[in-house]
Amino acid sequence: MSTLNHATMPLNPNLIKLLVVIGVLLIVPHTAELPISFIAIGFSLLAWRALTLWAPKTLPNKWLLLPLSIGLGFFVLKTYGMSLGRDASSSLLVLLMGLKLLESRTPRDAQVVIYMSFFVLITPFLFEQRLEVAIYALFIFYLLLFALVVNSTRNTSLKSPPLLRLSGLVLLQAIPLMLVFFLLFPRMIGPLWAMPDTQSAVSGISDSINPGTVSNLALSKETAFRVRFNGSLPKQKSLYWRGPVFWETDGQSWTLTPPKKDSFDRANPIPSQRSDIQYTLMMEPHHQFWLYALDIPAAAPTNTRLTHDHQLILNKKLTRNISFDIRSTTQKNITELSDTDLSRALKIPDNTDPRVIALAKKWVTTSTNKSDTVKSALQFYNDEFYYTLKPPSLGKNPVAEFLFESKRGFCGHFATSFATLMRAAGIPSRLVAGYQGGVYNKVGGFYNVRQADAHVWVEVWLADKGWVRVDPTAAIAPNRIEHSIDPSLQRINSNINFLLTPPEGLQKWAQQLKWAINSLDYYWQNSVLAYGPEKQLDFLSKFGILDWGDMVKWLASLTGLTLLFSLSIVLLLQKETHDPVQKAYLALCKKLAKKTGARLPHETTTDYFNRTIQLYPQKAEHLRTLQTLYLNTRYGKGSPQVFIQNVRRFKL
Amino acid sequence: MPLALSKHLSLKRFTKGEAAQQTHIKLNHRRIFILPSKDGLTLAIVILLMLVASINYNNSMGFVFTFLLAAAAQASTLYSFKNLSGLIVSLSKTPDCYAGSTGHINFIIKEPGERERWAIHASHLGQLKTFDITKDLLLPVKLPIQFSHRGWYTPSTITLSTSFPFGVFRAWSPLLFKQPILVYPQPIDTGLALEFYPLNKEQNGLQSSQLGTDDFAGLKPYQLGQNYRQINWKAFAAEKGLFSNEFSAEQSASIWLNWQSCHQLALEEKLSQLCFWVLNCEAEGLKYGLRLPGIELAPSHGIEHQRACLKELALYEHA
Repeated sequence: MSTLNHATMPLNPNLIKLLVVIGVLLIVPHTAELPISFIAIGFSLLAWRALTLWAPKTLPNKWLLLPLSIGLGFFVLKTYGMSLGRDASSSLLVLLMGLKLLESRTPRDAQVVIYMSFFVLITPFLFEQRLEVAIYALFIFYLLLFALVVNSTRNTSLKSPPLLRLSGLVLLQAIPLMLVFFLLFPRMIGPLWAMPDTQSAVSGISDSINPGTVSNLALSKETAFRVRFNGSLPKQKSLYWRGPVFWETDGQSWTLTPPKKDSFDRANPIPSQRSDIQYTLMMEPHHQFWLYALDIPAAAPTNTRLTHDHQLILNKKLTRNISFDIRSTTQKNITELSDTDLSRALKIPDNTDPRVIALAKKWVTTSTNKSDTVKSALQFYNDEFYYTLKPPSLGKNPVAEFLFESKRGFCGHFATSFATLMRAAGIPSRLVAGYQGGVYNKVGGFYNVRQADAHVWVEVWLADKGWVRVDPTAAIAPNRIEHSIDPSLQRINSNINFLLTPPEGLQKWAQQLKWAINSLDYYWQNSVLAYGPEKQLDFLSKFGILDWGDMVKWLASLTGLTLLFSLSIVLLLQKETHDPVQKAYLALCKKLAKKTGARLPHETTTDYFNRTIQLYPQKAEHLRTLQTLYLNTRYGKGSPQVFIQNVRRFKL
Repeated sequence: MPLALSKHLSLKRFTKGEAAQQTHIKLNHRRIFILPSKDGLTLAIVILLMLVASINYNNSMGFVFTFLLAAAAQASTLYSFKNLSGLIVSLSKTPDCYAGSTGHINFIIKEPGERERWAIHASHLGQLKTFDITKDLLLPVKLPIQFSHRGWYTPSTITLSTSFPFGVFRAWSPLLFKQPILVYPQPIDTGLALEFYPLNKEQNGLQSSQLGTDDFAGLKPYQLGQNYRQINWKAFAAEKGLFSNEFSAEQSASIWLNWQSCHQLALEEKLSQLCFWVLNCEAEGLKYGLRLPGIELAPSHGIEHQRACLKELALYEHA
């Protein structure tokens, strides 16, 4: 017994160890995202606290801690400025957690450290919400609950099975209520303040294309988006995922002009047809305004707008996983080319190398029509060019240098030079960036389109056919279009490896496993992470819940029901906690009642056994043993197990 | 027994406890209350901040863990309740208490099943003790009290509380008991000489076999409960066993502890002096009687007699 209370009790050293371990586990997921200096400071603060367990004199007093805290505060301010974005707040929280742990001397301090740790726990998700991180976080969450339990008891050991079990039970019990809130808490409340996301990494294709940009992506295994087709699967080589359309070039690079109002007005959705392809596209956040769709999207899905050059433009930058139901068509949609578009699609920079113009003019004179010109150009590429991931670097005039000197390149090189040549030949052309192909996941039944599948191609305007897709890369490396690149096999200065041969044996199993993991990830993304305002409304409308008022009503009533349910379970289970020895004894009495009559309420155990032995002398010896065993468990040091076993063995 | 509605709603029930009726109280849902603790309110603020961050970034995993934390805190209330419910509390006998000294309030907590209970705080008038119940079925708890006046002392509310398991909710059960504790006057020796009132001869003769402390009369086997001062240590050291010294108190007299003998003292001082004499005489093994105005206890000795005398002194009220 102790008279110490919560505020003055010294801190349990084992709890400090636990909190240091939790702190380390909390910082680990941040190592990839936060500046190395903050990670290092965080770890040092924790190491310091661990050191004080063995050398208590190194515990800093407030005269050391105060300047340290102020200094670290200034460091955060200096690094991030006044903006309290996710990087700044994560760094600040990690430091505060370390400092508070260093300062902790009482259970009350420890309680605050644990609370901060809960907050730090959710910060990695602001960067990336991967399934494995979530499982990892769930484990830390459990440890934190256990830390709370240890802190509120005076249990000094961490190896306490009942307390470990209790933390797990509370966690399991919390899940139903959490699910109710997760599904029903109104999500349409938008961002509360503008998120400074200047630091958020833009992944995938950017809004500017120069010959070399796409080849950097070919080594990335990251998923760009996943697609599940509703009907039959299209052929691999027709999987052109259309993204931003580039009209403007300065000779060096092609830059994206954000679509103007006029572009949206002139968009003409194509009416639904039987041959349309329906699919759900789950987009990873790429922090851009555009969406990818199978060439060509027929209409705009929710939250996007269609432009006249068949781009899908999002209402706001994509910062979280969202899935889109898209309809694409294979039908041609021939429209007139407006004068402005014509001049945009023919404009070549003034500084274009004369050799380029001369080459284009040569094709024009030798061919009968524009289709012929395109064919001649493709033939030119097919004859003289190489497809490589590591092309020689190009100087100030990349198109001419590539066409006449290096002749080695990636899709970016081919497409940019081809478009320039077409314009020089008087054929309106534009550049389309996106992805080509994807890896089909047989386990999950969806296409996984990776950054490695990034691609650039060209569209040319032919008067009788409208805009026609021309992919010069296909002319040089048909494999690229038939198969996907295998980023794990790429080596510098060697041939590009494609996913060609179906794997055998062990490799096959490895691939199956990879697919399984990937499909797990898909379901995770699709059902958990993408559960935002749109999906919530969509999901809840199936149950007749249409607006946030309904949500709140349902939330309240379901919460009440869940609480009632868990309360009744606890109360029912409580009744069950009967002493096992007593249970066995009562069972024995019930068994004996058939022979000797029920045990009378006033009878003591000894009286009862004496009476039964008289009435049932055949088993006198057994009954004596049972009596002794029972009395020993009650008043001596008898083993409950032995008594229970003997009762079980006893037969009338 | 069921409560009337007015009693049900009375605020006193939450702080002081229900009016005392039984000698032992079983903690059930009617007696256990639960509210967030200070740490719990802090946690609420943390959860709110986490929610704001989740809303702002519309972050699904942020929502998941925020709600999970809130739900876990909610679920902990059941365990706080379970940690207290079912316990049976009863007051136990207190050793003799004297005014002006520190005594103890003793109670027994009984765990009827074999459930484990953690970090239960028992408090009475600011005195706090914390204990776990892991193996014990009966746990005696002692809380110190400062007794200031003689007479009946009614224990104030004993509160059993717990912040288990997370420290975010405090479940408590205020208990009132009806068993008062008798507090004897503070024994003070004011230096007054004790006046002897020797008894007459016949009585004196009858007293010859009376045990005393004056003259050594021989050895007798030691009996459990005898004062250890009477043990003959020499015999014990010689490994002869435990023997107690026998004294005869031939000239021993019964003593009247008289109210009148301390007439120059104030009321409480008189009682204190008499109390001191009672204790002293009992310790000396003398026969003593007590005379208070209107009360007379015939000379006797023994623990019962001492209690009877002290009770009269404790409850004496001047006419």
